[in-house]
Amino acid sequence: MKTVINEQQRRNFVGEVESKLHDKLAKCYQCGKCSAGCPVNFEMDYTPNQIIKMAELGMIDNVLNSKTIWLCVSCNTCSTRCPKGFEVAGIMDVLREIAARRGIKSKTEKEIQTFHEVFLDNVKSNGRIFELELVGKYKLKTKHLFRDMFLAPKMIEKGKLKMHSDKVSNINQIAKIFKDFE
Amino acid sequence: MARIGVFVCWCGSNIAGTVDVKRVAEEAAKIPGVVEAIDYKYMCSDPGQNAFRNMIKDKNLTGVVLAACSPHMHENTFRKAAIKEGLNPYFVEIANIREQVSWVHEDKEKATEKAIDLLKMMVEKVKRNKPIEDVRVPLTKKALVIGGGISGIQAALDIANGGVEVILVEKEPSIGGKMIQLDETFPTLDCSSCIMTPKMVEAYQHPNIKLYTYSELEDVSGYIGNFNVKIRKKARSIVEKDCTGCGDCWNACPMHKNVKSEFNVNLSERTAIYVPFPQAVPLIPVIDRSVCLHYKKGGKCQKCYDACGPKCINFDLQDEIIEEKVGAIVAATGYDLMENSLYGEYGYGQFKDVVSGLQFERLLSASGPTEGVIKRPSDGKTPETIVFIQCVGSRDPEKGVPYCSKVCCMYTAKHAKLFAHKVHGSQSYVFYIDIRATSKGYEEFVRSTMENDGAIYLRGRVSKIYENGGKLIVKGADTLSGNQVEIAADMVVLATGVIPKKGSDKMAQMLGISYDKYGFYTESHPKLRPAESSTAGIYLAGMAQGPRDIPESVVSGSAAASKILGLFSKSEYEVEGTIASVNKTTCVGCFYCQRVCAYSAISKEEVKDRSGNVLKVVANVNSGLCTGCGACVNACFSKSIDVRGFMDEQIFAEIKSLAV
Repeated sequence: MKTVINEQQRRNFVGEVESKLHDKLAKCYQCGKCSAGCPVNFEMDYTPNQIIKMAELGMIDNVLNSKTIWLCVSCNTCSTRCPKGFEVAGIMDVLREIAARRGIKSKTEKEIQTFHEVFLDNVKSNGRIFELELVGKYKLKTKHLFRDMFLAPKMIEKGKLKMHSDKVSNINQIAKIFKDFE
Repeated sequence: MARIGVFVCWCGSNIAGTVDVKRVAEEAAKIPGVVEAIDYKYMCSDPGQNAFRNMIKDKNLTGVVLAACSPHMHENTFRKAAIKEGLNPYFVEIANIREQVSWVHEDKEKATEKAIDLLKMMVEKVKRNKPIEDVRVPLTKKALVIGGGISGIQAALDIANGGVEVILVEKEPSIGGKMIQLDETFPTLDCSSCIMTPKMVEAYQHPNIKLYTYSELEDVSGYIGNFNVKIRKKARSIVEKDCTGCGDCWNACPMHKNVKSEFNVNLSERTAIYVPFPQAVPLIPVIDRSVCLHYKKGGKCQKCYDACGPKCINFDLQDEIIEEKVGAIVAATGYDLMENSLYGEYGYGQFKDVVSGLQFERLLSASGPTEGVIKRPSDGKTPETIVFIQCVGSRDPEKGVPYCSKVCCMYTAKHAKLFAHKVHGSQSYVFYIDIRATSKGYEEFVRSTMENDGAIYLRGRVSKIYENGGKLIVKGADTLSGNQVEIAADMVVLATGVIPKKGSDKMAQMLGISYDKYGFYTESHPKLRPAESSTAGIYLAGMAQGPRDIPESVVSGSAAASKILGLFSKSEYEVEGTIASVNKTTCVGCFYCQRVCAYSAISKEEVKDRSGNVLKVVANVNSGLCTGCGACVNACFSKSIDVRGFMDEQIFAEIKSLAV
């Protein structure tokens, strides 16, 4: 793979990432501890430390079209173990969001991206997860209507699937958080 | 008649656990010449040593053998004890039955047999020992320091401050070495010339230091304490005592803008009569006769002479040879940088804006050709993007050298940092293989260059640089992301590898010290004798030993100085008496011994009859230089050389003692 570094583009991109991340990409010293402990690393096309380096070099297309940013399950093992205290899981979130804003559709991880969008929409409107709505919308969008259907009775029995939305009392604050990220 | 005493040491259970010490002592008592053999728990203890001394006294011993640990441990202890009882210390021999027997064997029966054999050998040897006196060498308490860089200056100052006279010889017209060419120093960003010039002036004005600049070492002979050196003081064409350093001469020189300045690494020009830089010490110009019109055009031009107020220019001055006697020498000849032109793919010499690290130092320096404003050499514009390439020549066994040059990681980080400080909004990229930042504050310095000054570090090498639309296109790799990377840069700085000063091999040969395959001088012991060369009385300092940074160079200069002050603190230099001696009767004068001697200890000596006619020429061992290694003994065809304490007669008797 060949990358021609465009200084202006690189700087803009790094600026965008860092302002959302509230952290510096240069902090990373590429020791690879994040990648060493990542439970989903085996499915990723780039290791987490490669994503950080590529973001720093302004390799925008590679980063935003990578599988890695969508496969990250935000378990935070990487961030917890990072010797430099870098927000490794955080940068995956930031990159997912930047990709979404730019209208980039993941070619390989369509369902994960859909779930990501539905999940955030759900949080935005309820302030917390309203499972029934989340499941419904996700199934309509992915057209996998009957997948995992037999789990539903059990979940209802255990009170995991509520029939009505239970919005947070101060939904305005949630709106503010979303606005701040813009 | 030999009267030998034998002591067998238990060393607690160290020896006694594996060797039947009682039996060893019993067997020893049976050897002819042995008057008494005892075993004891710890010979090195006070009671043990008393037993040792008492037996020498009571039994009137002529020799002692200890079956104990390695002679490295306690040979000295027992030799000293022997001296106290009036026995020559070389009549004490040690059979090593710990390191060579008990620690390396398990079978007690066989180990005991071996211990007895080793003991027998030493008894036979000590019977044939002859008294040996240690050699005393007179000392000339004056030191010579070769090289006026930071390590040489430090060594000279430390020796001089210790009250000893020093001769400091520098090849260039000014002292200061490479350090005075640097801008700021890592990791503290001290201005290099601000901390260097006071030291230069101190060395120049020190009452104990005699400074010879623009001078070279011509010849060295002699040995520790007694070196004779010849120094060639090259003709400056200036009567130094009259010169005021006013500068009228070089301002009048018509050869301005014709000669590349060595000090500014070819980035500016100088005149034919010049001082290398304004803070030069001494501030006395020199005429470069290879370019001066006076010499080239048969004496027509003498504009400098006309301009000179005190008329101190003398075109007819000749080289002078100065002879000095010194007792010790410090070799601090410094380093050079590799030829960047080895790497055609980087276009050094082809593209003006591809410069070396030392050139970039000059561009950063306030005393440099651009007065500290970073301007690229091609068009004088301030660069916005600079690519730095590390390991150019270093760690490249194919084209360059296999070793790490040690300073490049740090000075590149410093360059990137200073570039960010001087040109706001600029961007630097650094290609590296590994970052080696191991001293105090170094790692933090490199990290701050990345995190605070925005330098982007790419792990990988650059394969090619070419020009396109006024930019240098750098094609490299980033192995961390696994990508080929292309960067359009305004300038490229190569972190060129460090090599020994040109001619350092010749210098080593002249001094008679050893050097490695690259030309760096080798230490007597890499860990335990890092300041000493292989030859007694010659010490090493600075980059001449291998790549190192300024603090390390200063330390090594001080180390050499402290060794010399220690040497000079005694009235005479003592050498162990176990050195080679020549049988002049049988020596045929083939001098094969001279060729194999690594210490240049063998010279020719004429044997004369009473009326002064030379009968023959034989080998003579210089006791100040000989280390008793024995190479000459092996080389001698007529068996005329022996090392005292290790005579053939003794060795054969040892072997014979084993024959049953």
